[in-house]
Amino acid sequence: MSHVPPPFDPELAAALDLIKDVLSPGLAPDEIDAVRQGPGIQMLAELDLTLDGCFKVEDRTVPGPEGAPDISLLICRPTAQEFVGVAQPVLYHVHGGGMVLGNNRVGVDGPLAWAKELGAVVVSVEYRLAPENPYPAQIEDVYAGLVWTAAHAAEIGGDPERIVLAGASAGGGLSAALALLTRDRKGPRPLGQLLMCPMLDDRNETLSSHQMAGLGVWDRTANETGWGALLGDLRGGPDVPAYAAPARAEDLSGLPPAFLDVGSAETFRDEVVAYASRLWQAGGRAELHVWPGGFHGFDGFAPQAALSQAARAAQLTWLRRLLGD
Amino acid sequence: MKELAGRLTALDPDAGAAVQVIAYFDRLAESRAGLEALVRGAAVLAGVPARLVDADRRVRVRVEADGTRRETDLPPDAAWPSAALTPGGAPALWLERAQATPSVVDAVILERAAGAVRLVLDRTRGRAPADDPALVETVLDATAPEPARLHAVRGLGLDPAAPARALAPHDGRPRIVPAHPETGLPAGRLGVGPAGPVLELPHSWAAARVALRFTADGTAQDPGPRVVYADELGGIALLADLVAPGSEPAPDVRALEAAAATTPWLLATLHAVASTASLRAAATESNVHHSTLQDRLTHAEHLLGWPLRTPQGRLRLHLALTMRHLSRS
Repeated sequence: MSHVPPPFDPELAAALDLIKDVLSPGLAPDEIDAVRQGPGIQMLAELDLTLDGCFKVEDRTVPGPEGAPDISLLICRPTAQEFVGVAQPVLYHVHGGGMVLGNNRVGVDGPLAWAKELGAVVVSVEYRLAPENPYPAQIEDVYAGLVWTAAHAAEIGGDPERIVLAGASAGGGLSAALALLTRDRKGPRPLGQLLMCPMLDDRNETLSSHQMAGLGVWDRTANETGWGALLGDLRGGPDVPAYAAPARAEDLSGLPPAFLDVGSAETFRDEVVAYASRLWQAGGRAELHVWPGGFHGFDGFAPQAALSQAARAAQLTWLRRLLGD
Repeated sequence: MKELAGRLTALDPDAGAAVQVIAYFDRLAESRAGLEALVRGAAVLAGVPARLVDADRRVRVRVEADGTRRETDLPPDAAWPSAALTPGGAPALWLERAQATPSVVDAVILERAAGAVRLVLDRTRGRAPADDPALVETVLDATAPEPARLHAVRGLGLDPAAPARALAPHDGRPRIVPAHPETGLPAGRLGVGPAGPVLELPHSWAAARVALRFTADGTAQDPGPRVVYADELGGIALLADLVAPGSEPAPDVRALEAAAATTPWLLATLHAVASTASLRAAATESNVHHSTLQDRLTHAEHLLGWPLRTPQGRLRLHLALTMRHLSRS
């Protein structure tokens, strides 16, 4: 079986060339530090969080997991008069970065754009990064943030019954894991999970992971680095918990409705498609979009492209249906 | 992309950004992106809306800096930076930058975008006046509004209620003909799309282009059909997705090429074997005696390494001959 990769969408291919100086397909463990300091992460995190005054922005420090440091939540509340004083949906955002990069600003522009349309509150959680903090630091931080958000929803203008988990890449994987964890711990019950190109499977052995080696963004080398940082020697072995890699979950029943999207030309294509299939097989509700010629995170890196506009419109449409807007 | 383009222009208003702009449009042109993608590239890189207007060809595309397409009735402002599609021609592409001061980056964006737009227009509509290429392009453009496409169908003298098909000539621009044309098909290599309602002509066009890839010159060096009908390909059409033009040929194709390099009669003979119902018919087709054909096949089997006179071997030969056409760039 040869591994001819699907071609990138023309516009996305051109955009990829433009960003190749700050984003390369691979990531080795010894390159993590340099990328953390580099322009790519800054670029993704540099934005006007108020969206021209549509949001009031604050950073709240809230209790972390038991025995662990506090965590920081970025809270963006809509300022329009029609939304003030009425409990609004909450988009609980978990940032991406392969478990080793990023902060709670990264990628929050997507949720803010939806929130502007929906009048929602955005809460973006900071979590400890690997490899300094291996599993389960990330998922426990993210869980602690969700518990706080549900308990204090009224304080931030949110409706605890209408919390939607959302994240891209590692943030998508953590959102999926969070849905599993809060189901099993009988914690807060999210209304839905919006998983954008989620990082789900530590085994790194799907056909798409081989097919896209050395291409696009986040190839199998980078993926091995990310999962290795999170799990150390456990990675790929028999003992990886579902809360670390949701693809390992045996029981996918009883989860909130899911939205999943992924590009056809990326490492995660096959694991995302498989996860959606398993959600349906478990009797769940899931909507899956595979965007032809999309590279990993294309709609975040090249939001102007026609394919990105379509992908973002699909995300918002799903949220509107979920929230009955 | 926007942030990056902004960073580049802020950091290095001349050389660095210009290099990126050139690479961006080169890449779009390479992958045969359409007009909207090119205009969007100009808008996004410049950070202002861009528009392409070519009244003669009935082309009108306007894209805002965030990449969304939004048309306007307002005429272009003469003060905006602009470029013509032909040297000395009227402006056709604008960056909607008010109070613009001359900028190297704007100039490079306009120059590269206009060049790429010109290529697309030449490729997609050619020059012959007989049937207006702009109308053909509109009919074949799935994103054009249906009323505009129906209008263009009438402009081409076609009956909007009658089935039609798209033709993809190897040399020449796209054509649209009735399902059963009264005049003959154009000469030369040709992909013929399936007949269907005129609003489905974009599909017929896509299928015709696939069919074109299965055609050959019909010479001894390149034997095969000059005209291929998309709806006669059946499952064979799936091969077109698997074998990219210019890709590394499959081992059987390499074996064919290697054998053909030393054996002048090989390709024509094998094509005759693959495309006729019997070896007798193949011998007639090749103008050789039946026993000569048998000798040639023995020789060819030796060169290729697989049998040619079994059903499986013939299928393998047929696939190899077909993939050979598909892998040509």
